[in-house]
Amino acid sequence: MTKFDYSTKPWWQFAYEAALDALKDGNMTIADIDAIVFASMSSPAGGEHQTHKVSFLSDLFKTNVPIIEVTSVCGGGGVAFWTALQLQQYKNILVLASEKFADNKSETTTDWILSAAEKMTEQTEGMLFPTQNALVWQQYMKKYGASMDDLSLIAFKNHTNAALNPKAYFYKKPVDLEKVKNSPIVSSPFRLMDCSLSVNGGAAIVITQEETDVKIVGSGFATDYILTFGREDITHFKATRLAAQKAFKQAGIAVADINVAEVHDAFTSVELISYEDLGFANEGKGAELIKSGKINLGGVMPINPSGGLKAKGHPISVTGLAQIYEITNQLRGRCEPERQTNPLPKYGLTHNIGGAGGSVTVHIFERNN
Amino acid sequence: MPFYKCSKCERIWQYPLSECPFCNIELKKMASGQNKVIAVSKVFIPTIKHPIVPYFACVVEDENKNKWAHKTVEEVKEGDKLVFESNADRNAVGIWRIKYDYADAIEKALELIGGIDLNENSKILILPTLISANQPYFRENTSPEFLTSVLSFLFSKKIKLENIKIATQSFTELSVEAMASRSGLLDVCLKNKITPIDLSKSNFVKQGNLEIVEEIVGADIVLNLGMLKAGNVAATENVFRVLKKENYLGLKYLNSEKDIAKELEKALPNLVSLGEAEYIQTSDGFIAFLGIILASRNFINLDRVLNEIVSQKELPEIIAQINLEEIPIAGRAIKEIKLNINKI
Repeated sequence: MTKFDYSTKPWWQFAYEAALDALKDGNMTIADIDAIVFASMSSPAGGEHQTHKVSFLSDLFKTNVPIIEVTSVCGGGGVAFWTALQLQQYKNILVLASEKFADNKSETTTDWILSAAEKMTEQTEGMLFPTQNALVWQQYMKKYGASMDDLSLIAFKNHTNAALNPKAYFYKKPVDLEKVKNSPIVSSPFRLMDCSLSVNGGAAIVITQEETDVKIVGSGFATDYILTFGREDITHFKATRLAAQKAFKQAGIAVADINVAEVHDAFTSVELISYEDLGFANEGKGAELIKSGKINLGGVMPINPSGGLKAKGHPISVTGLAQIYEITNQLRGRCEPERQTNPLPKYGLTHNIGGAGGSVTVHIFERNN
Repeated sequence: MPFYKCSKCERIWQYPLSECPFCNIELKKMASGQNKVIAVSKVFIPTIKHPIVPYFACVVEDENKNKWAHKTVEEVKEGDKLVFESNADRNAVGIWRIKYDYADAIEKALELIGGIDLNENSKILILPTLISANQPYFRENTSPEFLTSVLSFLFSKKIKLENIKIATQSFTELSVEAMASRSGLLDVCLKNKITPIDLSKSNFVKQGNLEIVEEIVGADIVLNLGMLKAGNVAATENVFRVLKKENYLGLKYLNSEKDIAKELEKALPNLVSLGEAEYIQTSDGFIAFLGIILASRNFINLDRVLNEIVSQKELPEIIAQINLEEIPIAGRAIKEIKLNINKI
């Protein structure tokens, strides 16, 4: 994957760099690839309005293999990966995502992200994603008694991790807890530091039928209604629960077997609620998990050792594949010593959300001895 | 807020679907009687669609536990009820957001200006905007969906088919027939068994300086369907079409459209304007989503309010001198909706 940043490279440059990185890691060239699954939000930000990217990729890689483009906004990378797993007739599949999203005034980029909300009743009523999640979190706090301080611990943890990750936007830029707690309110009760960072970047994964040192043992994908407040329970993400159930059932392991996880933290509250939806904490007990320190680096099951979307950065569709990149490296023992889970993890999990819980993928990976 | 429920499986939608995809039976419309704010977030993030901050984004719940999103610029807190007072002042403009169901939005917009007095014998004259022989997506003419919804609204009020007239005339070389056909409005008329009237072939009656089509005289309510446009006075211009063409051109030459508009406003006390603004033309003719409907007995005020909502800087002469502060607003506040339409 590329470093996540605000560089002004075009989308295809991010895609190209990420693909080359993945292919070299697998001792392959593009000639070994039988199909490509590509994810992007196809943002027109900055005038870079390029649809039919599959044809561009064909040209870029001088290949005529099938190329499928999927889009599921922030969940695009995970959905692309899930899609690739359904294509079992292909031996080697390149799963690729790139976004050149952040290159306009924030009013424009926020507006484009808002386009993933329902048009007639959410977009028109100012239900930005920070706002939707702030309102979900209010309901959660009312129901379970958690606090904003609990969320600050999540932001602090992820910034601490990102400061150690050379691919993260906040690499070598640690943020202290007081700064998190005193950052400006953006959509009450959320502060700026409860929100992830929209950046640019690319990530790629090669899936092969050949046996390698990392196996994909569980894969789950579920969707939910776009109208966030029309759901049965607005304090949790049903699609996460359903996707996790499928992934764990397929993997044949228990939640307690997971040693390291990358959890979708577009907002700090989403990470906390997801602890419960993924089964890492009992309902209403997510705050206890973050307070326990068990999910910090050096804990029994680090969550978001990469820094997460919060501090590594969130290039929309790229996020899902960047999570898999991180977990693969964790299972292989390749991360920087300060970030590497010890002892070497056997199972890792990735959790990627599109919209406010509207499309969710969960994948489980096993180190293959 | 309307919801639609399957009486068999009890699933609920916010979309006016024809039938339940599980049970294949017609959905029943559930109107929200009460509403209560159950959560509020004060938003400080400006976006293209919501440039004025802070605002309050709320989750609202009705007596059936149905929930929806609502934006307001007035501070609200949990437990508050959202109240939209109607204003029967003749100069008031009602503003409402369209949420998939045009007919529901039309009814609400009319309620906001005090409602219109309808009974089963009411005679209705509908004046759709019909100014070009273009497809509906150009948003130059009243859309077929809007006209259909106006008719649905009238039928729901038990208005008899024979008491509804749909009429306009052309002030250009284009024929009404050609425009009605291309715009899709002719199909709506025929589907509802209504023969559209070309007002240029009607008789006109003198009223002061004005020569007004006689169909106006016989109508209890005249519904002016303005297809609104930024930088324009579309609702007002549509009313000009009740005048004899030569009379309109003569008055325009001798006086001004502003004078004609003022005189018409006084001469047509039973005229109610509905401003269609789900998608509108910007001042340079491109199309932008706005998602609202306006209603007023004062078509000039309606055009003024629309131009304020879309942040139109250069105003047409007819509305340039109108002080917005003097226009009573009912329903959604202008600041809740206001944006720069050219940035969309």
